[in-house]
Amino acid sequence: MSPLPGYNVLREQDRSHMLDKIGVDSIDHLLDFIPTDLRLQNPLDLPDPMSEWQLTRHLKELAAQNENTDSHVCFLGGSVYDHHVPEVVNYIASRGEFLTAYTPYQPEISQGLLRVLSDFQLVVGRLFDIPVVNCSVYDGATALAESAWMAISASSIHRLIVSDNIWPEHLAVLQVYMANRKVEIELIGHDAHSGKIDQADLDIALQQPAAAVIAQSPNCFGIVEDLKEVIHNAHQHEALAVIGCYPTSLGIIEAPGTHGADIVYAEGQSLGLSLAAGGPTMGMIGTRESLTDYLPGRLVGETKDIKGESALALIKQEREQHVRRDKATSHICSNQALMALRSLVYLSLMGENGLRRVATLSAQKAHHLCAELERIPGISRSYQGPFFNEFCLDLTVNTATLLDKLRQQGFHAGINCSANNKDAQQRILIAVTETQSLATLDHFATAFAQTIDQIS
Amino acid sequence: MTPGITLKSARRVSVFDLSQPGMGGSGITDPDFDGETLPTELAPVATRAKTGLPELSEIDVVRHFTRLSQDTFGVDLGPYPLGSCTMKYNPKRNDTLAELPGFAHVHPAQPADSMPGLWTLFHQLQNHLAAITGMDAFTLQPAAGAHGELTGLLIIRRHFESLKQNRSVILIPDSAHGTNPASAAMSGYICKIIPTTTEGTLDVGAMREMLNDDVAGLMMTNPSTLGLFDPNIAEIAAALHENGSLLYYDGANLNALMGLVRPGDMGFDVIHINTHKTLSTPHGGGGPGAGPCGVKAFLEPYLPIPVITQDDDGEIKAQFDRPLSVGRMKSYFGHVTILIKAYCYILSNGAEGLRTVSENAVLSANYIQSSLADLLPPVFQQRCMHECLLSGGDLDVDPFDFVKRLIDFGVHPPTLVGAGCVHFSDDYDAAMLIEPTETESLAVLDDMIAQFRKVAREVELARYMIETAPHTTDVAKIITDEPAFLSMLEADKPSSAKTS
Ligand SMILES: Cc1ncc(COP(=O)(O)O)c(C=O)c1O
Repeated sequence: MSPLPGYNVLREQDRSHMLDKIGVDSIDHLLDFIPTDLRLQNPLDLPDPMSEWQLTRHLKELAAQNENTDSHVCFLGGSVYDHHVPEVVNYIASRGEFLTAYTPYQPEISQGLLRVLSDFQLVVGRLFDIPVVNCSVYDGATALAESAWMAISASSIHRLIVSDNIWPEHLAVLQVYMANRKVEIELIGHDAHSGKIDQADLDIALQQPAAAVIAQSPNCFGIVEDLKEVIHNAHQHEALAVIGCYPTSLGIIEAPGTHGADIVYAEGQSLGLSLAAGGPTMGMIGTRESLTDYLPGRLVGETKDIKGESALALIKQEREQHVRRDKATSHICSNQALMALRSLVYLSLMGENGLRRVATLSAQKAHHLCAELERIPGISRSYQGPFFNEFCLDLTVNTATLLDKLRQQGFHAGINCSANNKDAQQRILIAVTETQSLATLDHFATAFAQTIDQIS
Repeated sequence: MTPGITLKSARRVSVFDLSQPGMGGSGITDPDFDGETLPTELAPVATRAKTGLPELSEIDVVRHFTRLSQDTFGVDLGPYPLGSCTMKYNPKRNDTLAELPGFAHVHPAQPADSMPGLWTLFHQLQNHLAAITGMDAFTLQPAAGAHGELTGLLIIRRHFESLKQNRSVILIPDSAHGTNPASAAMSGYICKIIPTTTEGTLDVGAMREMLNDDVAGLMMTNPSTLGLFDPNIAEIAAALHENGSLLYYDGANLNALMGLVRPGDMGFDVIHINTHKTLSTPHGGGGPGAGPCGVKAFLEPYLPIPVITQDDDGEIKAQFDRPLSVGRMKSYFGHVTILIKAYCYILSNGAEGLRTVSENAVLSANYIQSSLADLLPPVFQQRCMHECLLSGGDLDVDPFDFVKRLIDFGVHPPTLVGAGCVHFSDDYDAAMLIEPTETESLAVLDDMIAQFRKVAREVELARYMIETAPHTTDVAKIITDEPAFLSMLEADKPSSAKTS
């Protein structure tokens, strides 16, 4: 007997039995309510099916064509970082019970998952120092867009003041999300020396009412912003402060919530998620209690079962699309729950000391490398503000050529920020995580110097 | 607090309860850096003294989360006929293949020519999705179904902008999933709702009356969320197109159609596919999924950037310079690992396999419908597609209670009003949407049917058992109108709510 096609499990005798029960004699007959002229006449134009071993070989071949962090030392950042992912994270996230459940609509059989999501809310709340956190949105960029909409809904003011040193991709997504919702986005500049938000620009922008001031720290140059000042300024003018952050950095840098941010958003990839060519990652949003009703997505809370015992369930669903439809706070349905699980396991493994060490090691290594590179003639730091683990360098050689030569030596040396850059012609953004050894950093610095020498 | 030995109690324990000062962070060391001294320049701004994160040993983490997993029901544990969610078995091999280092360890900002394997995969996947759906071009960027909807609606907007037409209305059937109107609102459209006829189809007459030059499009899923194929689809498409409007396909129900009917052939102009439903990705407790968006050729210029295309000399590239594009929908390229799973699924099945998937999905739903007809008559007296909408109106017990009792017999409840992701109008408030999927064998289907019958017998014999179900879970029935409180740490609670 030949095997059933694909992953199907109904044998021919099963299908006959089922057709009998339904009272039709064939699948065609079963589907006769579909107008015949709509029925596909030919088989789908797809390759022949593969066996498991053929498929594995094929995927391995495709995978082998991609350079990656095993083949090249990775100094790329830009919101996604090559931090270490402890094996326990992979192990727990591959448990079939978690992996094959869906949104816990049936709380009685989902208490484990609900506890995970509830603890995610609590732990991230600690990290951001903000009381209310949702169960994730798609990624950092959409987290920003959703946060901005929260501020607009809460204030009924359709104007946003956005610092021009947030991630360019985040800004691009924000613009798309706001494009048809009658929202004015006013970009404010950064100080050419420090790389931080230009406070004078912000002051001017705040002369008109705004729903929110949106800033990110560390910003897209890696520089830690003076959030306290920015947030204070926003509040003085009755604008909400929507602050983007890099969760790992919060192991050592004061949380946005501590400075009084009203909404904190983040790209959560650094918390135990693989790079995966950029997805799936995870968007995180936290807020003050008074803004809870504007939050997008799932929220977990405590309730009681009919015996009066405490239990967890999805709550405040009246915000969501399946209840409120076009009046919902957001359209999000499927979210990034598995990534939330990963980051909760990650943060539980790291704890107070571990996250602090990851952050400190990343910063130590980045500062070490930066100092080494700064010694090379023709290289200068783009900005003087304090950076966390990512920094910009201005070059006197062609950035693309430099990156290319370094790639040939086994390095993905950084992100080329030379295009559309007002401050400098040739610029590179370099990120360092805890995973690079001193030897690697020094080897890289040497290669960097030699290559610059060669091409200048 | 120690967790105790029974796994059932794990749910009562938060990671904060398991915290022991000094634990955690094992292995985060480096011989050459102390991991403590802050760089001089950073020190003045790196002033956070404490995060308040819990401190656990690795074994406590492993045990706690393993126990929590055991208090979570997934497809790996039993049938999950949650209508509209396509909770089928997703092949394990795909999960492993998507995590190959050559995919999982790729940084998205790497040079474009450093990941040719991924470009090839994306390009092939786009072609396969086009073949399955009858569309001309795809973007793989959207993160989920709802995100695909937003993408598609923004494409529709761009289309009318380029025609210099100002159309502000999107028509949506009353049975549509909540994401449809929510996405329409997010793209700046006003939603107008089309009623459903007593036969369960879109009311074409009512729709015609709503058509005018303000209508940008109609969002529809076919089969609908009532599990029915709308045979008038060609007429609907013609009427829309005659009006200069576009037809959007919500592909959440594509599991019923592969190899049988293609959205492109039905007249749809823009679609999304929930690959996590139809093309296999375990739902992960709520996500992530992926929602590729497909268009007919005339809408291709509006696809979000980057667009993955093959140029004349055969090279596959990510194009950014697309002046008419709607812009960027999310960071980078999309949910890459989820897309890899979809690719694997398509290649394992082939054309015949995929057609059989859909045939069997439809067959199984009709088998359930026929087998339960005496007990739970179909809401609409006709054959269904891949899910059946059955009426619990004759049950003499609240359907909400009825389905909770199924839990005790190992079956996940089907979708009900207010207990699942689908919206039903009040007319169907006793209805259940059952989607068995094609991956359950006949023996499992028969067992599921037997469990429904067992519960039905209890209505007379042991009504109390139904009304207080489930009984086999650690928590008892949870009623949604109980007051609920956000999970918050004691320290964050407003002072009035603090227990101490
Ligand atoms: C009919 C329908 N449309 C849209 C969606 C939204 O898809 P997603 O959850 O992937 O955003 C769903 C998901 O449940 C659905 O069932």
